[in-house]
Amino acid sequence: MSLSADQHPVVPQVPSSPRRASASRRDFLQAAGGTAAAATAAPYVLTSKALGDAVTPPASDRIVMAGIGIGNMGSGDQRAFLGRNEVQYVAVCDVRQKWREEAKARVDAKYGNTDCVATLDFQELLDRDDIDAVHIATPDHWHAIMTIAACRAGKDVYLQKPETLTLREGPLMVAAARRYGRVVSGGSQRVLGDYRGIVDPCWAGEIGNVTSIDIRVGGPSQACYLPALETPPDIDWDRWLGPAPWEPYNPGRCAGNYGTGGNSWRSYYDYSGGSLTDWGAHHFGGAIFAADLRELQPSKVTYHPAAADGKTPAYVSLTYPNRVELCHNRPDGLRPQAGPSLDHRGSVVLHGDGKPKAAKTVPLYRDGERSIYGDFLACVKSRQRPFRDIELAVNTMTAPHMIGIAYRLERSLIWDRASQQFRGDAEANRLLDRARREPWVI
Amino acid sequence: MAEQPSALDTAFAALAKFDWGNDAKVLQPIDAAVVACHGNAGQRTDLENRFTQLLSQPISRAAVEYICRKLCLIGTAACVPTLAPLLGQPEHSHMARYALERIAAPAAGDALRKALGTVPDELKIGMIASLAARRDGQSVPAIAEVLAAASKAGQTRLAVAAADALGQIQTAAAVDALTAATPTDAAVAAAVVNARLAAAEGLLAAKQPAKARAIYQSLVSAAAGQPRAKSIELAATRGLLACAEQTAAS
Repeated sequence: MSLSADQHPVVPQVPSSPRRASASRRDFLQAAGGTAAAATAAPYVLTSKALGDAVTPPASDRIVMAGIGIGNMGSGDQRAFLGRNEVQYVAVCDVRQKWREEAKARVDAKYGNTDCVATLDFQELLDRDDIDAVHIATPDHWHAIMTIAACRAGKDVYLQKPETLTLREGPLMVAAARRYGRVVSGGSQRVLGDYRGIVDPCWAGEIGNVTSIDIRVGGPSQACYLPALETPPDIDWDRWLGPAPWEPYNPGRCAGNYGTGGNSWRSYYDYSGGSLTDWGAHHFGGAIFAADLRELQPSKVTYHPAAADGKTPAYVSLTYPNRVELCHNRPDGLRPQAGPSLDHRGSVVLHGDGKPKAAKTVPLYRDGERSIYGDFLACVKSRQRPFRDIELAVNTMTAPHMIGIAYRLERSLIWDRASQQFRGDAEANRLLDRARREPWVI
Repeated sequence: MAEQPSALDTAFAALAKFDWGNDAKVLQPIDAAVVACHGNAGQRTDLENRFTQLLSQPISRAAVEYICRKLCLIGTAACVPTLAPLLGQPEHSHMARYALERIAAPAAGDALRKALGTVPDELKIGMIASLAARRDGQSVPAIAEVLAAASKAGQTRLAVAAADALGQIQTAAAVDALTAATPTDAAVAAAVVNARLAAAEGLLAAKQPAKARAIYQSLVSAAAGQPRAKSIELAATRGLLACAEQTAAS
């Protein structure tokens, strides 16, 4: 798409700061010394829970949180945050009534009251001044819209992986986070949790410089033509679809299970990048972290067609600016046969040149935290960038997204990071994003 | 003896009757042809003609969607006259944009701009967002008009979309329109501020710190009394620091 002369590059340059961007409710209460609040508030009896104790901070120091998308992964995230003493969990949002009610019940049971608000309108939560942070675990087609809206509303965000559905969304999400000084953490708990077996030796220099990486994971998502069925009463189907094209209800279209064989939203192009970005977010995340590529984006995408004999399937490789090659489903016979390597269960294999290399310290979760949830909360308090900061997550996710585009087009591509465009391929650039269904636009 | 239809002919015949619940394997020859026509103008034109002919017939919503997805990838100015009338139809408006938004031909922008003035209000947000995604400078006057009118009429969502679009288009005219906006609704005012911050970031990226500084300074001056004033002040102050750094480095 051509730009006129007075337009600017598509990548905004957002002034950033790790410091907190807005005064919170707690800041206000602390600054006011309670006087103003006491003068205007209704009579209030301070309970022991509100005052806190040895392990639970007083209510005024807790991070007030809400959850959006509380199905499979969202319920896991909710339980993790609910289990943290520094969190005061106040509201849930889901387009499914059953999940909404179950999520509210978990919160109410934890606090012994019925105070948790349950809604199907995420904007209702974002409009609340008392909420500091939200966790988002909707299907992928909602991620960018909700994350950007949350940043604009002054909320910090814990966002389930895969953080993006399209390549264009990433820079917009990073820009929103930086513009408002928000902490936005991606949500792959496995990157640091599962791949230490290859991360630690790689950062220790044990295989020298990484030269190539093999990742074995499923392919991109597919089109969905499941039959139209009657929409059940407990789901707001239009909101579930949101920015995605209108399609008729079918449980196989919107099921939240982790399969990608056609019986879940993870299978379908309008809502997901398929296994490539779903499980791929973990594998690519682990590999890219291990090889210390998180600051980079691929510069070249090579499509390797299937062999004429039908025995060798097509695969795609990426080349990073530092010449590291990352291959998706490269046939075993084409992998490097010599030199040192590190293998994570056959799904991620790093190949090195074996040359001596100085060890580097592996960056871990903040403040000694042992989970990605703790890392996020530590950063909400300190205003540091989290382990899977949105910018690093976006960089990581460019890899499977580009691979998916190469498979769809069956050709190789050149990526220009500065302009966030494929060079010399107007058709490929059409796949950088897709029009969203009104009124859910970015 | 009659000539046997090609696999592609058979697939297009199936597409004419296609609906949700059908086996999509029947469409695979079309999928393959769309990928294979890259670099072959003749094949591409043939496919585009077949799609537009089908769109002119009574086909299912599923078939319309399928065609729009394909035109999104290979459509040219030639398909615009067929897609443009769909923009005003609530059932098809989004998928028409799905194709038109990604077609670089100026005719696609013309169609979206024209539709902005004619489609029902509930569809205008889509037109605006697609024009913003195209960074369509010619649409600034119309979008600025929507911003003003929707603000006045209390159509918050539409006004917010218009402000967001101007912040993405980022031409000098878009910046001026945002500066001139005087929304009274808090959500619209916040969207205008956000759009001005986005525009300033664009200017910084284009190495125009003086113009960016003017926006940031004006935002700092006007922040008092605005919703989330502290947040605006901090964002604009960070911007001013970035302008100073860029100026010092140049």
